[in-house]
Amino acid sequence: MKHLRLGVLAALFTAVAAVLTAADAKLMIALMPKAKGNAYFITVKAGAEKAAKELNVELLFDGPTDSNAAKQNEIVENWITLGVDVIAVAAENKEGLSTALRKAQKAGTKVITYDADALPDARTYFVNQATPEGIAYGLTDEAARLMNGEGEFAVITATLTAGNQREWVKLIEARLKSTYPKLKLIAVRPSDDLKDKAQSEATALMSANPNLKLLMAICTPGTPGAAEAVKQAGKAGQVKVIGLGLPSENRRYVHDGVTESVMLWNTADLGYLTIYAADALAKDQLKAGATSFKAGALGTFEIKGDNILLGKPVIFNKANIDQFEF
Amino acid sequence: MSAPDAPAGWKRLFLRYEMLLFAALVAEWLLFHYFGTTTNRRGVVVGFGTMDRQFDILRHSCEIGLLALALTPIIITAGIDLSVGSLLGLCAILFGKLWFDGGLPIPVAAGLTLLIGALAGGLNAGLITGLRLPPLIVTLGTYSLFRGLAEAITHGAVTYTDFPTSFLFVGQERWLGLPVQAWLFALVAVAVWLLVHRTVFGRSFRAIGFSPEGARYAGLPVGRRVALAYVLAGLIAALAAIIYTARLGQAKADAGTGYELFAITAVVLGGTSIFGGKGSVTGTLLGVALIAVLKSGLATLPIVIRLNAAEEISGLLTGALLLAALTGSVLPKILSSLRSHRQAG
Repeated sequence: MKHLRLGVLAALFTAVAAVLTAADAKLMIALMPKAKGNAYFITVKAGAEKAAKELNVELLFDGPTDSNAAKQNEIVENWITLGVDVIAVAAENKEGLSTALRKAQKAGTKVITYDADALPDARTYFVNQATPEGIAYGLTDEAARLMNGEGEFAVITATLTAGNQREWVKLIEARLKSTYPKLKLIAVRPSDDLKDKAQSEATALMSANPNLKLLMAICTPGTPGAAEAVKQAGKAGQVKVIGLGLPSENRRYVHDGVTESVMLWNTADLGYLTIYAADALAKDQLKAGATSFKAGALGTFEIKGDNILLGKPVIFNKANIDQFEF
Repeated sequence: MSAPDAPAGWKRLFLRYEMLLFAALVAEWLLFHYFGTTTNRRGVVVGFGTMDRQFDILRHSCEIGLLALALTPIIITAGIDLSVGSLLGLCAILFGKLWFDGGLPIPVAAGLTLLIGALAGGLNAGLITGLRLPPLIVTLGTYSLFRGLAEAITHGAVTYTDFPTSFLFVGQERWLGLPVQAWLFALVAVAVWLLVHRTVFGRSFRAIGFSPEGARYAGLPVGRRVALAYVLAGLIAALAAIIYTARLGQAKADAGTGYELFAITAVVLGGTSIFGGKGSVTGTLLGVALIAVLKSGLATLPIVIRLNAAEEISGLLTGALLLAALTGSVLPKILSSLRSHRQAG
């Protein structure tokens, strides 16, 4: 009896050892989200897993449970110790993580970033999910389509000082001037990235501007916030809502007919492209100065400098929003 | 008579709690060295057995180690300080602000930060000794107060970065073969060891922890001695904040979140009684090492890495360790009774 148990244990141990050595021969790519419980990053992971299967590489996916730069650092150091081939991260804090990433590069590990960039010298490529033009023009075009090219609308931003938000507003204004002269942007209001604040701003905007036809939120908490305000004011259909947002947070409002459409990039594709880029980098197939890159089933992507561009954002509306789970 | 005495002395040394901890540490280290060291695809030896990893362990244990050192005298007086992790966060933010917004040179900003840490410790001390409030409640309050202040100052969003490389040297480079902060840590460890084990202050901490009323009747200035322990804890937490900032190159309001719990775990694991009256700095250091090696070692085990949950598993095992330590804090008592039983026999 004892011998049998020992034999089983030994067999088990050999099997585990065999699996581990076999896995060691594969290319190892480590993917880090800002927070691993975040719905956004879970869909990124789904895309990454698909790519890893196609490429026959081993994928590690780990990150902080909350968005914590210090924990991101520790995990990167663990991966350096393990000697993974490529580290792909969405940096919670640019400067905070860059020291660890540079250390990884020194140790011979290739580094790329996706979703949120680190400092340029701490990585080779940044897989950029959306250009400012892609976001601003996409939303403006959608607004113009819904308003038949004329009327008043207002924008709800995160803060009036945030760099990316200001850039988007500037680009929206440029697009209006060049393409939609009859659309009038009457106000830009801050929401501090809070749903509550967005809701009260939206309510104030509606009562001050009876001719308002559309609210556009350019931060993700702003979209459901504006929708809630429109719903409570009983103005569904009269004041349309669009904006950046996760399908999951806006599904209810889209089905209620309050929110017309929300826009975001396809996060699964972001994960897929990131793993393909990491794999190509490890195999020296992705060289500095390349202008395009082919990622499996998704086809070819443009490279601008050291940014690999995911392309145009996706628009989610009543017709397709239920197909996306994040 | 002298012949049976020799083995008894040897046994006494062997059965000492610290020796058990040390043996556990060595066993743990060897285990991780055996299972956590591998050769990667490129033929490089990686994992736990590398020198780099040993330095990583040292680096990672300095901040929690400092907090554990700060807590040892306090817990010996039968007190507790839950606010040290939050104070680390507050001090990191203030240090960043003094340097970045205040335009002060790094050494001046560091000096002021240490002063602020001591003052914050003084606030705990004043409430505990002046108003005779229980330390658990007072420091639960300051735990939220300090973290809340750090978040209010930065609106939860500002992060101080771009520190000069001469400052980052403290947290990221080596000096005389060891990480720079390890030297600072050693310095504080020696100072706290001397304080606890070689001065009248240390003796009075134990007396107070054993029986505060008794200590008072014996003519000890109980309030002043207890206050000293809390002020010292604030000062050490501020030093930990500066080292933390130098290691990560950033100061953010969430710095040191949860560190107080790891530190308390290390102290209790080290054999200091949570009821006060006895404890040792050597034990605390061993407790810190035990936790640091566990955390770091787990993260190098291939099986754990492939589960993608190194953080969760180390959290789980640290929790189990704390329970073991609480149970184990009665172990010395059992051992000594065992010893006396054997001697009697």
